[in-house]
Parts: sequence; C-alpha cells; structure tokens
Amino acid sequence: MHNSILDPETATEHDPCEQRELIGDRGDYFLNRIQGETGVNVSACYQCERCTNACPISQFMDIKPHQIIRYVQLGWRIRLLKSSTIWICLSCEMCSTYCPNEVGVAEIINHLRMMAASSSIAPKEKNLAVFHHTFLEELIKSGRINEFRLMRAYYSKPDILYAKIRNGTLKEEFQLAMTLLRKGRLKLSAPKSKAVKEIQKAYSQTRGEIV
Amino acid sequence: MRLSFYPGCSLEGMANDYCESIYAVFKNLGIDLVEIEDWSCCGATAAHSLSEVMSVILPARNLAAAEKMRLDIICPCSLCFNRLRFSQKMIKKKIFHIPWEVTGNIRVLDMTRFLAKPSIIQLIKQCILKPLDSLKVVCYYGCQMVRPPKITGYADYENPQTLDLISSAAGAQVIDWSYKSTCCGASIGIGRREIVESLSKRILEKARQAGAEAVVVSCPLCQSNLDIVQKNRPEPPTPIFYVTELLRLSFTDKGNPQWFKMHVADPVPVLKAKGLL
Repeated sequence: MHNSILDPETATEHDPCEQRELIGDRGDYFLNRIQGETGVNVSACYQCERCTNACPISQFMDIKPHQIIRYVQLGWRIRLLKSSTIWICLSCEMCSTYCPNEVGVAEIINHLRMMAASSSIAPKEKNLAVFHHTFLEELIKSGRINEFRLMRAYYSKPDILYAKIRNGTLKEEFQLAMTLLRKGRLKLSAPKSKAVKEIQKAYSQTRGEIV
Repeated sequence: MRLSFYPGCSLEGMANDYCESIYAVFKNLGIDLVEIEDWSCCGATAAHSLSEVMSVILPARNLAAAEKMRLDIICPCSLCFNRLRFSQKMIKKKIFHIPWEVTGNIRVLDMTRFLAKPSIIQLIKQCILKPLDSLKVVCYYGCQMVRPPKITGYADYENPQTLDLISSAAGAQVIDWSYKSTCCGASIGIGRREIVESLSKRILEKARQAGAEAVVVSCPLCQSNLDIVQKNRPEPPTPIFYVTELLRLSFTDKGNPQWFKMHVADPVPVLKAKGLL
C-alpha cells in the first residue's frame, strides 16, 4: 500500500473511492448561527477525537462527538437533528472539559437538542424526548417533581406503555417500582410548591403567551 | 452558623434517607439549616434539554428566595448545585429577563465542599464517637458536582478530594481509584436501560477491583443508579452510602437502621461484619 505520509508529493487528501459530499448551498450559515447562539468556537476544532475518547457512551452514539462538531462546520443540520446522539448525550461534560481547544462539545450537543425539540423533525430517541417533555409538564403543574407522579404521567403518554409491553421490559420495571415502594423510596404523594402560579406565569411568558 | 438549605425534589422522594441524615449530621455539628421557603424544582435535565430560558429562571426563583433570607445556599444534590451555579452565571450576564428580584451574588455551596473545609473537618473529628476504621471505601463524585469546572469551581475535577477528606475524617479507610468522576448514566435509564446498566456496572466492578467494601456518594441519582443495578445480582452487595449516612454512623453508638432499609444493596451485613452496627 502506498504510504502517503512518507511521500507528500503524491499524497491525495482522501481515499479516491470514498464518496464526497458537497457543502450545502447555504455556506457557513449554520456554523455561524450555532457559534453565535452558544458562544462556542466550533471552528477551533482540529478533530483530535479527544472528546469521543473521553465520552463514556460514545459506543452507543450514531454520530460521535467529534463528528458532531465536524457536521456543524459542514452545516449538515438535518442529519444532526435526526441523530440519536443529541438525545442520549448525558451532559456529563467530559468532552468540553478535556477539549484542548476549549470547544464546548456538550454545549453544542445540548443546543442541537433544543433545536431538535422545537423543530418538526421526529426525535430518533422518542422515549427520551417524551420523558423530558413530561418532566417539564409535571414541573409546571406542581412546582416540584414527585417520582411516582412523573412516571405515571410518562407511562400514560401515547406509545410509551405499548413500546414497553412490546419489548418485554414492562414486567421488570413494574417489579422495580414495587421494590422501591416496599423500601419506602417511592412516595405516592408529595407536597406541591406554592409557587405553581408564579412558575406557570413565567413559563407562559417564555413561550410568548400573553398573561 | 446558619445556612439556607435547598434539598431538591429527590430528597423528598427517592433519597429521603439522605435528607434525614443531613439534618441529623448538621444538628450534631451545631450548624443551623434553614430550608428555603417554598422552594421549587431546579428544572434538572429536562429544562436544560428543552429550553434555555427555563433552565435559568427555574433555579433563579430559589436563588431569589435565599437572597431574601441573606443566607448562603447549601446544596446536597449535585445536579441542583450545578443548575443553581449555572443560573447564577447566566443571571449575571443579564441575557434573560428574570421575573424575580435576584442579583446572583449569593454563594451556592456544594455540601461536600462545605463539609471538607478544614474548620468543619476539625468539627467532624470532635464529634466522632465510633470511628469507621475497619471499613474500606471508595468515593464516587459523579459528573455534575465537578464538571464543567467553569461552573462548579472545582479546580481538581480530575481527582476531586472533598468526599475522600470527609470519609477519612470519619475514620474510614479511603482507597484511591480511577473512576471518581466517570458518569453513572444519570436519567437515561428511563429510555435506554442498557446504557445506564453498562456504565453503572463498570463503576461497581472497578470499585470492587480496587478493594472497596462500600462506595460513598453525595448525589441522589448516582446513589439510585449504583444501588438499583445491584438488584437480583449474584455477587454480595456493595452498599452505596450517602456521605452523611456514614458520618451519622460514626457520630452515634448505633446507626439508624431505618435509613438502611431504603437501600436496595443491603448495607447491614457488611456493617455487622465490621462491628459497626
């Protein structure tokens, strides 16, 4: 095999068999938008893959953290928002902490998740997206989160219970809930915060509703 | 000394034992904890996944309440601590309109860092009745308490020390290990159980390899992940203690077995074998 490192004259930049994709006709619009909204210098990335190596769950991701940054540079918005990475990222901040160029990888992934949540693209990890929405709904409803109420609301969302029955994990989760109940860790009721009205008002205001 | 206390939602439910042990320990130390009046949820992962504004204004409400009391906030839950600090930083940037009167100038202290201050360590050493010198533990910090350092203020995020200092003050043999701040999987278990299991099992495995008989944590979510993953496992359980549970155990002749009933990985056999219960 031809060693391109030893012979820079004949080295080609990429494998000629590999299919190359064109940068979108919107140029660096997406890159600039993300950089402006998050304050992260995405262009500083030199693909050392430190983030992917630090990530505890990179093996479960379809687009690895360093690829996320590259795709942002290339402006591949749809592909990013359709990925499961943006939903399964744990925000453990390993990537951002160890990046030699101080690229906030976790901040970018989190921002993409927010963009995906408000876009019309169906989330790849539906369970997680529904869980986040349910959590926020419960929070707005009662000011504090009670695990039992949260899980009850989550399971009554369309398709969630059905999916659990189909993949056979329902029994296991029910047993877990019973164990926790027996151990006294699952409280069936909890005091609501008196601040519910204040929070509801603030929430409506952030959504541009008139209160 | 008086401090305002922000328990967070977990401490009302899943981690009720943590809450009670914190109150007991601070009573022993002679430090007044005043629960923030009418506190509300910090928004946790959901708020910062879905709406940046909500992730700033939800903690801001609690910061405002604490500012009214003029007491520094002490925060036992790592994620709450992280969210409060994040919100404080954003309030000072004045990007979003906050519906409550808040300056963000109050101090938000992570509970373990408060307890690991030299003066408090002295105080802890004075309170000890029964040193835990036969117990070998490793300390597990999780992610949100130490990272990102720009928000949490931990300079030693690679090798944090607070829990180690507190546990060794309680007399336990603290073992050094490499998985102090590796993520346990957090709330992803709701949608992708296999991810949380692979991460938590690996952490437990490494703790056992290091020779630990128990793990000391300070985060309610880390505790429940590491605890629940041991359900129906053939190996002898590795109990996951909250740091305050251990402290309280060393402060009294008899620990409170009521708290230990809430653990899935039963700590009673280990403690009995060591003559600590």
